[in-house]
Amino acid sequence: MPAFLLKRLLVSLPTFLAILALVFVLVNAAPGDPVDAFVPPGQSLSLEQKEMLRHEMGLDRPLPVRFGLWLAQVARGDLGYRYKDGEPVYRTIMSRVPATLMLTFAGLGLGAVLGVALGLVAARRPHGKLDFALSLLAYLGISGPAFLLGILAMYVFALLLGWFPTAGYATPGDGSWQDVLHHLVLPASVLSIQFIAILMRYTRSSVLEVQSQDFMRTASAKGLSRTQALLSHAFPNALIPIVTVIGANFSALIGGAVFLETVFSWPGMGTLFIDGVETRDYPLIMGITLFMAVAILAVNVLTDVIYAWIDPRISLR
Amino acid sequence: MVLKKSLAVAGLLMTMALGAQAADKVLIGAFDVGPGGNPQKFNPLTASAGFTWYNKYFNTLALYDANFERISGDLAQGWSVSPDGKAITFNLRKGVKWHDGKPFTSRDVKFTLDLVRNPDLGSVFAPRLDSVTGITTPDPQTVVLTLSEPNTPILDTLTNLMIVPEHQLSGISVKDLRNADWWRASPVGTGPFKWSKYEADQYVELVANPDYFRGRPKLDKLINRYYKDGGAAAIALQAGEIQFSYLTMDQVKESQKNGAFKVVSGASQVLNYLGFNNAEPRFKDVRVRQAMMMAIDRASIVKSLYGGQAVLGNCIYTQKQYVAGDLNPYAYNPAKARQLLAEAGWSSIKGEPLELLTYYGDQLSKDVVATLQAQLADVGVQVVPRFLDGPGFSRVVDSGRFTLVFAGGGNGPEPDTLAPLLDSAYAPPKGLNRMRVALPELDKLFDEGRQETQAAKRPEIYKNICRVTNAKLPWGPLWVSHRFGGIGNKVQNMVWTPAPGGGRYQDNAETWSIQ
Repeated sequence: MPAFLLKRLLVSLPTFLAILALVFVLVNAAPGDPVDAFVPPGQSLSLEQKEMLRHEMGLDRPLPVRFGLWLAQVARGDLGYRYKDGEPVYRTIMSRVPATLMLTFAGLGLGAVLGVALGLVAARRPHGKLDFALSLLAYLGISGPAFLLGILAMYVFALLLGWFPTAGYATPGDGSWQDVLHHLVLPASVLSIQFIAILMRYTRSSVLEVQSQDFMRTASAKGLSRTQALLSHAFPNALIPIVTVIGANFSALIGGAVFLETVFSWPGMGTLFIDGVETRDYPLIMGITLFMAVAILAVNVLTDVIYAWIDPRISLR
Repeated sequence: MVLKKSLAVAGLLMTMALGAQAADKVLIGAFDVGPGGNPQKFNPLTASAGFTWYNKYFNTLALYDANFERISGDLAQGWSVSPDGKAITFNLRKGVKWHDGKPFTSRDVKFTLDLVRNPDLGSVFAPRLDSVTGITTPDPQTVVLTLSEPNTPILDTLTNLMIVPEHQLSGISVKDLRNADWWRASPVGTGPFKWSKYEADQYVELVANPDYFRGRPKLDKLINRYYKDGGAAAIALQAGEIQFSYLTMDQVKESQKNGAFKVVSGASQVLNYLGFNNAEPRFKDVRVRQAMMMAIDRASIVKSLYGGQAVLGNCIYTQKQYVAGDLNPYAYNPAKARQLLAEAGWSSIKGEPLELLTYYGDQLSKDVVATLQAQLADVGVQVVPRFLDGPGFSRVVDSGRFTLVFAGGGNGPEPDTLAPLLDSAYAPPKGLNRMRVALPELDKLFDEGRQETQAAKRPEIYKNICRVTNAKLPWGPLWVSHRFGGIGNKVQNMVWTPAPGGGRYQDNAETWSIQ
């Protein structure tokens, strides 16, 4: 196991560096820099003043040099400071992590439970009315962009029905866990929709595939009901592709959360990331990229470990 | 353990019950949504927007009234200008205290002005204080500014400049002060409200300042909630969760029948213009620029796209007192436009299509740009729009490698506001004249206007500027649109009006209240 982990880490390192280099080049290739973002376009600093600020921030150095300096800095455990307000990047990111984790895992949990459950329901009577209805909903869920669904949900459930607060993390002056939970329901549900749809489709086809196998016929032959056979024999054997899908979609989920956080003014890393891009805050953008890359890598390794746990035939070497 | 928990719950319930009895008057608004906002940037001396919020806890020396007609004192009780116009003496209000209890004096004013003029701070106000040669403080209630030449617009600049406490900040180096923690952790001002707390990406909470020089505010708390998406703020306003937000015209239309808030509107004081790169050879002939003006059906655009909520501009000014009566109206006339283009030999010089840059990303502006493109194409001027965000736009325009922009520039309340954008002395890299305008007669008039100390004589000078910009078209003036805000029905006495960058007017926040 430790050897496996070490190997995985070593294999990931080049990918990791390539991602960082690519993002660094891309954010720097976008027109405008932090100094341009410093003031709105209507009323700006003179070019002279801007050049002075650029020199001070080291923005006038060649790109490879800046990337090298940044890597060296990260190797020393320092993510630098935000250009926007001079706050340490590490502290800024860490203060947003709990909100993002809460939203992502709420979406993931809700999505996994509902997606798998609905997939099983659909697989129970394939091509039945219920299966058809669920498939239709799944297509809608997969094709609806999360930010659009977010605004729609906000309009219906917050404004028309008044069940949930429109946006934000907590009511100013409250902030109790019930209050936060109340704010969490809407964004987490919207985030999970796409995930439910994808997972439902995979669970359904995976279970149907297993059902055509010999041992399933044996199970019905020995007198198990359709549901019993489904839950005790088909489902466990269908789990591997389901876990793969959950793991592989984790990054998509984080991506969806970035935009959804903006829609719901959720004070997490997504909101922070968009703010970083708008202000061309390179240290912040790179810091978040690094953090997300690590998180996704960790989830991939975790997925491999779970494989071995649910299927003894797979060993981690 | 169970006992402890139930005790805690009981305590919580009791506190809530007590809280309900002596209900705090709390006003929650989205004060930094929209073009006037500057969300989560807390140094007002390096800001160019967000003043609506800053002057809830800081004060300026002077302020406009809410109609932007005249400037009167805020921290200054009054001022006098010397006969030669080269010295301004400010008499400061007596008995004003900083939020930490220390007295406010002339030293704080001198400290703030020196700070802003220090290049290390990178303040946008620094160039506007270039003519200041000395600041003296003969006594704690008096500040004297000496100037190299008369400078009437300096009072307008002072309506933007928040005065900060010397005793709190003198120990921090100017470079560090630009982004110091102080601004977002524990700022100390003189305003009606005091800083209480800041939850990043969520809100800032201010509490009433009982020692405010105009009296204790009626509200106990004023909260500025952050919305990354203006649409969410508009929904929150309709749902009654917040009591104020900036609104776009589309949002106003959608919410006309709501019972939760009333809409307030006013002129944005931002002139939308077609910016010609004056160094571009294809625009050399004034007939080309005139033709482009006549190709655009501005009246229809204002009527159908802006719903009538904009005022046409035929020169760079739209305020009555600065608009000359004898202007070319550039009425929509595509036939005349084609004729002018033919006279200027457009077909032989037109070259590649003109790139039309803009930093506006909202739907209305996109519709406007598409209309401009179609109407210009109709007379034979091919235009390709390019949408950039603010930083991208600044970078491209600073470089000089552009032909045409659709942009906005504050044209009031002080007419000199436009000087840095049109005076050739401000040509890049030194200044902000990014359209590379070089008209000596315009430069001369701007100098005259700035140095004229008699208020009655200034309008005639700016009318002349209006005539020159109407005839020579260094910019293609389009219109000044209205902007909107929504104020919740439970709110009393709240004053809000759009202004470039927000704020700068006396809104008497100490009298705001909520039912």
